[in-house]
Amino acid sequence: MSDQTPLSELLVVDQIETFIGQFHILEGVSVRVPKGSITVMLGRNGAGKTTTLKSIIGLTPPREGKIIFDGMEIQGKQAFNIANLGIGYVPENRAIFRALSVQENLKLAERRKGDFARSADFIFDLFPDLKRLYKLPGNHLSGGQQQMLAVARALVPENKLLLIDEPSEGLAPILIQQMMEAIRKLSKTTTILLVEQNFIIASQLAERYTIIDDGKTVQEGLMKDLVEDTDLIHHYLGASIKTRKELEMEHASEN
Amino acid sequence: MHPKIRKILIAIVIAAALVAAVVGVYSYAGQRAFISTLFSGLTLGSLFFMVAAGLTLIFGLMDVLNFAHGSMFMLGAYIGWQFYTNPTFIFGMAPFLLAFGAGVLVAPIIKPYLIAWNISEKWQKALPKIAYLLALAALVFAFVGFDILSVADTAMVAATTTTVGNPLAEISAQEALGRFWLRPLFMFISGLLIAVASSKPGDKTQFAPKEPIGKKLLLPAALLVLTAASTLVRESAPVSILLMNGNLRFALSILLAVAFGFIFGAVVEIALIRPLYVRPTFILLMTLGLSYVIRELVQYLWDPLTYQMSRPPLFAQPGKASGVVEWLQKGSSTMDIYGATVPTYRLFIIALGIAMFILVVFVMTKTRLGMIIRAGVQDPQMVEAMGINVKAVFTLVFAMGVGLAALGGIGAAPFLPVQPLMGDTYQTQGLITVVIGGMGSYIGAFVGAMILGMARAFGDYFALKLSLSPAIAEASTVIIMVIVLLTRPQGLFGKKE
Repeated sequence: MSDQTPLSELLVVDQIETFIGQFHILEGVSVRVPKGSITVMLGRNGAGKTTTLKSIIGLTPPREGKIIFDGMEIQGKQAFNIANLGIGYVPENRAIFRALSVQENLKLAERRKGDFARSADFIFDLFPDLKRLYKLPGNHLSGGQQQMLAVARALVPENKLLLIDEPSEGLAPILIQQMMEAIRKLSKTTTILLVEQNFIIASQLAERYTIIDDGKTVQEGLMKDLVEDTDLIHHYLGASIKTRKELEMEHASEN
Repeated sequence: MHPKIRKILIAIVIAAALVAAVVGVYSYAGQRAFISTLFSGLTLGSLFFMVAAGLTLIFGLMDVLNFAHGSMFMLGAYIGWQFYTNPTFIFGMAPFLLAFGAGVLVAPIIKPYLIAWNISEKWQKALPKIAYLLALAALVFAFVGFDILSVADTAMVAATTTTVGNPLAEISAQEALGRFWLRPLFMFISGLLIAVASSKPGDKTQFAPKEPIGKKLLLPAALLVLTAASTLVRESAPVSILLMNGNLRFALSILLAVAFGFIFGAVVEIALIRPLYVRPTFILLMTLGLSYVIRELVQYLWDPLTYQMSRPPLFAQPGKASGVVEWLQKGSSTMDIYGATVPTYRLFIIALGIAMFILVVFVMTKTRLGMIIRAGVQDPQMVEAMGINVKAVFTLVFAMGVGLAALGGIGAAPFLPVQPLMGDTYQTQGLITVVIGGMGSYIGAFVGAMILGMARAFGDYFALKLSLSPAIAEASTVIIMVIVLLTRPQGLFGKKE
């Protein structure tokens, strides 16, 4: 592992084990998220990345291990208590409330009165489309619009950490660019833990990575080292991602 | 065909059928019979809505089908009837319940200290159990030698107006204060022990920041003051209540029944339903069992008899008013509406039902609570992950639903015979209403309730007129449900799964 000077870590996930029903989904996941950076979790489908995020926010509490957020042990606490410590969660399925308008979806995310009034300008600056869709009910939004709203919702209250699950999934290329731009902007003010299947995006956004395989953390380090290490990529991420050469080719054809 | 055009066509056909039915029935029955049947229907519809509104809200958010809803409706009627007719029982029980509540509500104050307590895992498990057992013991102590039946019995002796100045003069005196005050004390201790047990001492995963306790102290302190006050006025308060203006007393009965339903609902949700969310079938059976427990308890206290609550003075004077103003001035029992004679109390129930509907619509569309409920219906986990205490919202919604049922109960009490099974018909009709309107839709509950009310009222009218079996009116609601289920399985206003 490529470790350097001690980092001030906002979130430390230490050897957590999580069960869903009878199934032992996480068998020892560790993630370290330094303050003010983007850390990405990589791994095959079903490796346990989404469950790790859910374990952090408390929706699937871990049975073993520790989760330390901002110097405080949070494992086992109730999800709403954890969220109120300053963690925003953008789930894989976006979970936009269909019966609520865009405005209500955003208002609901307030933790204190006036949260939305304070953050509205920032949110509409990041996602100008949302302003146009303001009054529309949640079930009228396209996939891309839902994704923007899901991220925007996590920005309404002041959060120290954002957990974002697959922000690019199912989005058109142009929207992916917009979403990446938004996440990059966000990382200037908050810390982000990202799950991203698309290695091109992951490698461009994140400074640090954690590879999860079969419910265990197998490797972590700096993204710039991983990009060079094609063997490692192939070994753990296999077909789900592409080598650097393929990446460059694809990138060239895109531009 | 384009789905929108199809929808419009269907709407036109339904509207035309409705207009034809109304015109047909109107010309067949004549104006007077039509209007009086219409108001019967609206009355029944309002009562159905009061039951169905709670059922549908609770089901929509929590997937809990509350089979004790009818019993809670009945309980509301009994509590309100007791307070209105003779509050001796209510005031006899108040010190017990208030003291117990004061004890339980100490929990938020002591919790931060208890969970920070360093005790071994063994004690962490044992301590709550010991505390619960001691709480039970204290509860038993509080009632030892207390003749609850005699308090309930005295309440059954209806207040007499013959003894001027003291309507309860014929009723025997209660236990002396010198002995009685120990009872609320034991209730308070029992509540305190439950507060300790439910705080999970030593459990580090619990979360309760040590905030200033000033505000948290307010509620238990207020309840203690009320306990002391109600202990002292146990015997004198019922008399002064009975000497009060009847309409005011009725308004207070309504408030009391709703407050009781709300608190009872909250307690049932926290103590009985919450531990069972992982086993939905058990919740169903539990509520069914609870309905029997409530019914048996009521029968134990007041015997399986039928009581008739007298109407408040505003609806009691013989005579027919020609309009609303005359009714309100004279307190007439009936009113003339376009030639038909409509009992004024029915108008009150209709107004209550409509007011409740407006209130529900307001809460659901305009308040943050409504927003949380609408979001929680779809995805309670995401609502929780946004930092909202969904468990507390569940408790609140269940409490509100039971409060609405109790409101229906006391609203219906002067209109229906008060007896232990009075809620059952309304529960069945409430469930049918919810199915017709669509599970979880409050607008559907209102429309469904009105449809059922009309079907019952006009069914009864035609059964009488054409000398058919009166069962046809009852069957009509089920027939409507079957038709709706076959053509629109999700209900009129329900969303497709």
